[in-house]
Amino acid sequence: MLSHNAGGVRSWFASGEPWVWMNAAAVALSIIAVVGLLGLIAVRGLAHFWPADVLEVTYQDRTGQRVTLGERVESEFIPIERYAEASVREDDDRAAGLDVVERTLYKVGNRRATPPDFMWIYSHDIVGTATPESVFVLERTEWGNAYGYLESLTDDGVVVATGADAAAAFLQRMDAATELREEIAALEGGELNRINYGLEQLRLEERRLVIEGRDTAAALADIDAQRQVLNADYQVAEEALRQLHGALARSSVTLRLAEGRTIDVKLSEIVRAWQPNLMSVLDKLGHYGASVALFLTDNPREANTEGGIFPAIFGTVLMVMLMSILVTPFGVIAAIYLREYARQGTFVRLIRIAVNNLAGVPSIVYGVFGLGFFVYFIGGTLDELFYPEALPSPTFGTPGLVWASLTLALLTVPVVVVSTEEGLTRIPRSLREGSMALGATKAETLFRVILPMASPSILTGVILAIARAAGEVAPLMLVGVVKLAPTLPLDGNFPFIHLERKFMHLGFHIYDVGFQSPNVEAARPLVFATALLLVLIIVGLNLTAIMLRNRLEQRYRGVES
Amino acid sequence: MVTEKELAALPRRRSLINSVTRYIVALGGAAVIGAIALIFFYLLWVIAPVFVPASLQVEKTFEMPAGDVRHLDVSESGEFGLRILSTGDVEFIALDQEQPEISSRSSVGFAVERVKPLTPMSNYYALVDAEGTLRVMSASYPVSFEDDQRVVRPRLTLPFEDSELDVSGALDFDLYFESGTALLAVLRGDHVELTQYRDVEEGFALEMPRSTQIDLDAVYDRVWIGPRGQWLILLNESGRLELYDVKRPRRAKLLSTTQVVPEDGRVDVAEVILGRYSLLIGQGGDLQQWFVLRDEYGYRFENVRGFEYDKPLVKIIPEHRRKGFIALDAGGTAHLGYTTSNAQLASHPVGLPGDTYALSPRGKQLLAAAPDGDMRLFVIDNEHPDITWSALWDKIWYEGYDAPVHSWQSSSADNDFEPKFSLMPLLFGTLKAAFYAMLFATPLALMGAIYTAYFMAPSMRKLVKPGIEIMAALPTVVLGFLAGLWLAPIIEANLSAVLSVILVLPVGLMLLAWLWSLLPKDLTRRFDGWYGLVAVVPIISMVAIAFELGPHLEVQFFGGDSRAWFLNELGLSYDQRNALVVGLAMGLAVVPTIFSIAEDAIYGVPRHLVNGSLALGATPWQTLVRVVLLTASPGMFSAVMIGLGRAVGETMIVLMATGNTPIMDLNIFEGMRTFAANIAVELPESEVGSSHYRILFLTAMVLFLLTFAFNTVAEVVRQRLRARYGSL
Repeated sequence: MLSHNAGGVRSWFASGEPWVWMNAAAVALSIIAVVGLLGLIAVRGLAHFWPADVLEVTYQDRTGQRVTLGERVESEFIPIERYAEASVREDDDRAAGLDVVERTLYKVGNRRATPPDFMWIYSHDIVGTATPESVFVLERTEWGNAYGYLESLTDDGVVVATGADAAAAFLQRMDAATELREEIAALEGGELNRINYGLEQLRLEERRLVIEGRDTAAALADIDAQRQVLNADYQVAEEALRQLHGALARSSVTLRLAEGRTIDVKLSEIVRAWQPNLMSVLDKLGHYGASVALFLTDNPREANTEGGIFPAIFGTVLMVMLMSILVTPFGVIAAIYLREYARQGTFVRLIRIAVNNLAGVPSIVYGVFGLGFFVYFIGGTLDELFYPEALPSPTFGTPGLVWASLTLALLTVPVVVVSTEEGLTRIPRSLREGSMALGATKAETLFRVILPMASPSILTGVILAIARAAGEVAPLMLVGVVKLAPTLPLDGNFPFIHLERKFMHLGFHIYDVGFQSPNVEAARPLVFATALLLVLIIVGLNLTAIMLRNRLEQRYRGVES
Repeated sequence: MVTEKELAALPRRRSLINSVTRYIVALGGAAVIGAIALIFFYLLWVIAPVFVPASLQVEKTFEMPAGDVRHLDVSESGEFGLRILSTGDVEFIALDQEQPEISSRSSVGFAVERVKPLTPMSNYYALVDAEGTLRVMSASYPVSFEDDQRVVRPRLTLPFEDSELDVSGALDFDLYFESGTALLAVLRGDHVELTQYRDVEEGFALEMPRSTQIDLDAVYDRVWIGPRGQWLILLNESGRLELYDVKRPRRAKLLSTTQVVPEDGRVDVAEVILGRYSLLIGQGGDLQQWFVLRDEYGYRFENVRGFEYDKPLVKIIPEHRRKGFIALDAGGTAHLGYTTSNAQLASHPVGLPGDTYALSPRGKQLLAAAPDGDMRLFVIDNEHPDITWSALWDKIWYEGYDAPVHSWQSSSADNDFEPKFSLMPLLFGTLKAAFYAMLFATPLALMGAIYTAYFMAPSMRKLVKPGIEIMAALPTVVLGFLAGLWLAPIIEANLSAVLSVILVLPVGLMLLAWLWSLLPKDLTRRFDGWYGLVAVVPIISMVAIAFELGPHLEVQFFGGDSRAWFLNELGLSYDQRNALVVGLAMGLAVVPTIFSIAEDAIYGVPRHLVNGSLALGATPWQTLVRVVLLTASPGMFSAVMIGLGRAVGETMIVLMATGNTPIMDLNIFEGMRTFAANIAVELPESEVGSSHYRILFLTAMVLFLLTFAFNTVAEVVRQRLRARYGSL
C-alpha cells in the first residue's frame, strides 16, 4: 500500500489508506464485540460461584458509626452531582472538592433481618475494613444468604455447644441434615409423586366410566379399592415424611449479625454453610466446584432467583432431543426427494428457494402457527376425542412439550434440508452411475452409497438444527415453556414420558429471571451463569458442526480427485 | 446356501424395496413441503373471517296471534323471544323450534302504553300504563336440568312491585339502574324531573327518593341518562342537543349546547350507542355520530363521522355489547353499521318501517313483529365489524379522544373499554427498531466484510470469519438480556460518553492511520493484512478515553445532566430501554448475517478481474472500489436484505431491550413495540377466535410475508450473481 509523501493529505486520502483503516476498524470492532460479549458472560457467570471473602466494613452513617458484613460486588465512580442528588445529608462536606466519588456495592445478605440485601457504601464513609476469620455464610432456602458469627448450636431447645465448639458441631450436623434433606427430596419426588399421580389417574378413570356410561357398581368398587390402597400408602409416606422433617427441624443455630443482633436459623432452612475467610485457595476451589455442581443439579428456589437450574437444563435437553427425532427423518427425506427423486425443474427450484427462505422467517411466526394449529386445533381435537374426562381442563389442548418440539422441528427443518442437500450435491455423479451400472437398484444406491457418504452433512445439519432450537425462546413462550414446572416431563409414572406437560427452558429462564423477577439485583449473577451455560452449549454445538463440515470438505477433495 | 426359491424371490424383493423407498421418499418430501404450505394457509384461514363481509339473512318466518306489540326483545341465548302487548300480556316465544310458538304467557295486569328497557342492565323493562304510571318488569331465563335435559323456563317478575312511579305527561323518560342506585329522568318539555332512589334491592320497593327539578332553556322531547348516571343528554326535534352534569342532581350543571342539524332541519331518528358517550342522529338519509369530548375549553359535542343511506331512516337499533347498530330505512331495509370502523357492513330488507324490531344481546339475531302477527327472525353473521382494512391502518377517532389517532391498545381492566387495533404504531415500531439496527449493523458488517475478504491476511481470515459467524448462533435471549440489564443502565449513566464515542472513534482512527503512514515503511509492511488486529488496542483505548472524558463533556456541553438537556433543549425524553439500546443489540445480532453473506460475495469475485485491474496500474483501493465492489454489489445487497429480514422479525431482543410501549415517535431515546414483541406479549392472553386473536395472526402473516419477500429478493439476486461469477 502507498505510503504518504510530500504530496500531503490529499494524495494520502486518494491512496485509500484511511478507508482501509476504517474497514479494518469495523473488523476490529466486531472482534471486540464477540470476544467482549463472550468474556463478559464468562467472567460474570463464573465469578458468581466463587466464595469471596466476607468483609467487615465499618462506615459512617447519618446515625453515626455502623458495621456490616458483606461480600464486595463492584465499585464505581459517580459524578458529584449525582452524589449530591442521592445524598440525604445536608451537612455533607466530606465529598467537598471532589469531582467524582467512589462507591462500592456490598452484598450484605440477611434480607429478612436487615433488608435490603445489597448496599452501596461510599469510599469516603468507610472507616475501616477487616476480614474476621470466624464469620459464617449460610445459604438458606429462603431469604437468601445470612452473614454472621456463630454463637451457639441448639438441639430441641437445649444449647449443646457455644463459641468455637459450635462451629465444628454445626458443620457435622449439616452433613447429617444434608442427608435428611436428600431423603425428603427422594420421598417427595418418588413415592408421594407416584401416589398423587395414581390418585389423579383414578379420578380421571372414574369420570371416563361415568361419561361412557360404564359406571357399574363393580367398576366403581374396583376403583375405590385401588384408591384405598393408595391412600394407605399415602398415610405411610406422609408419616415417614413427618418424621424426617421433625428430625431436620430439631437443631438450630444462633447467628450474631454484624451489629450485635442475633437470629436463630433452623438447620432445615440451611442449604450450605461455609467460612470463607478461613478457606485456603484450594478449599475455595473445592467449594467453587461444589457450587457449580449444585447449580447444575439443584431445583430453583425463591422464584427462580436462587438455587439451581436442573429442570431448565432437563427441559431444554428433552425438548431438543424430541425435536431432533422428529426433524431428522423428515428433513433428510425431503432433501433426498428434492435432490434424488424429484424431476429437476422450475417447480423444484421454487420449492428450494421457499425452503431456503423459511429459514429466514421470524421464529415467532412459527410460534403463532404452533399455538393456533398444534395446540388449539390438533390438541383441542385430541382432547375431545381421547380425554373428555379431564375437560374442561385441557390435556393436550394447552401448550406442552410435544407441541414445542413439533414447532421447533418445523422451524429447523429447512436447516436440515439445506445441509443434507448440500451433502448430496457434493457426491459425484460418477459414484451413482457406478453403483447403478453394477446392477444396484436406486434404493440400494441410496442406502449403500449415497446416504453413508452424505451422513456427515446430515449430522452437520442436525447439529445446526439442535443449536438453533436450543437457543430459541420466542416461539416457546407461546407453545410450552413456563417459569416453574411442578413436575419434570419424565418420571417414574407410566408412560414415563409425559408429552403434554409444560417444561422449563434455559433461554426462557434467562428472560424470566432477568425481567420478571422481583429481585433482579440478586438474580443477575445467576442469569449470567445460565446465559454462560446456554452460550457454551450452543457455541460448542456450532463448533462441532463447523469441524464436521471442514472434515467433510477434505474427504470429498479425496473423492473428486 | 441360498435355495433356488430364495434366489427367485430376490429380484422381486429388491424391486419391492426400491418402489417402497420411492413412495416413502416422495411421501416424506410431500409432507415437508405440505407442512410448509400449511403454515401459510393456516394463518390465512385464521385471518380470513376478519375480512369476510357481514351478512343478514332470513332464518324463518312464522305467525303469532295479532296484537298491538309495544315491545319486542330476544333473550341472551337467543332461544326466546319476548313480546309485550298493549293488553298487558307478555309472551315468551320459543325461537329455536322449527315452527316457533308461544311457550308461556302471563300478564302484568294492566294495559301497557309504552315500554322502555332499563339501562345498562338487560332484561329489565319500564312499563307505563295509560295513566302514566311506571312499573318495572324483569324477565329471567333460569336453566334447570330435568332428566339430564336442559330446560329453560322463562319467568316474569315485577322486582319493585309496590313501586309505582309517576311519569304522566312526560314527553320522554329514561330509567337508569345499576349497583343499588336507580335514577329516573322524566322530561316534561321545559323541565326535567330527576329522581334518585338509593339502596335499591330487588323484591323491595324503591326507597329513599330524592327529587330535583332542572329547568331547561328550551323545549326538548328526548332524554337519555349518560354513562354511570353522571350525565343527562337532551335533544329536540329542531336539533338542539344539551348535556348536563348530574353527578350531584341538586347541583346539575349545563356542560354544553350544540346544534346538530341545520337551522331549518329536523331530527328524524336519534339513539345512544353502547357506553352512552355517543349519539347517532339521523336526518333523512344522513346519520351522524356525535360524542362528548373534553378539551381545555370544557365539554363539547363533536360530529365525528357520518353514514349515508339512499332512503330516509326511521329507526336506529343499537347493539347491546358493541358499538354497532342497525339503521332501518323507510323502505324497510335494515343496514348493519359499525361506528368506530365507520363501516356499512350489510343491508337486507326486513319488513315494514312500522313493525317492531329487536336485536339479540349478542347481536346475532334480529326479530321483527308486524301488527298482524307476522313475525320474522333474521340471523346476523357479523363477528368482526370493528376490523376493516382502513380501521387497521388509518387514524380513528375513538370516543373520548379529541382527535383521530393511531392507537394500539388491546385490553384494559375497564368494562367500558373499547379495544383499539391500529397496526400503524406496531409497524412504525418494527421499522424503527429495524432502522436503528441496520444503521449500526450495515456499515459495520459491510466494511468488515470488505476488509476480511479483500485485505486480510489469509491466516487471520481463517479465524476471524468463523469467529464472527459464531455470533449468529448466539441466542438472542442472551443478547437481549445483556442489552436490557447490562447495556441499558451503562448507556443511561454514561450517555455523553457513548455519544462522544461516535465522534471520537472516526477522528481517532484517521489520526491512527496518519500516524501509521509516518512510520517507516519497512516496519509497517509486515502488518499488511493485520490492521484488523492492530486496530483493536487503539479502539479500546479510544472508547476508554471517551468514557473518561464523559463526565467532563457532560458538564461542558450538557450542564451536568445530558438527559435533562435533551429533554429541555430538544424536547427528547429519555427511556432507559430505548431505540439506541435496541439498535446496538439487534445490530450486533444482524452483523454476522450480513457479514457472512457479503464476505462470501466479495471473496468470490474472480481473481483474474482483480489481477487484471492491478496489472493495468490501479491501486488496490481503486481496484476494490471500481472492480470488486461493483461486481459484488448484488451479493452485498442481498446480504443487507437478509439482515433486514432478520431485524424485522427479531423478538427477544426487542422484548427485553425496550419498554414495549406502542408509541409513534422517531426519538432514538424512546422505546417502541414491534409486531414480533407484540405477538409474544399478547397472544398467550388472547381469547381464541376473538378479533384480537385474529389480528395477532394477521400481524404474524404480515411478518411472514415481509421477511419472505426480503429473502426471496435476496435469494434471486444471489442466484443471478452466482450465474454471473460462473460466466466470468
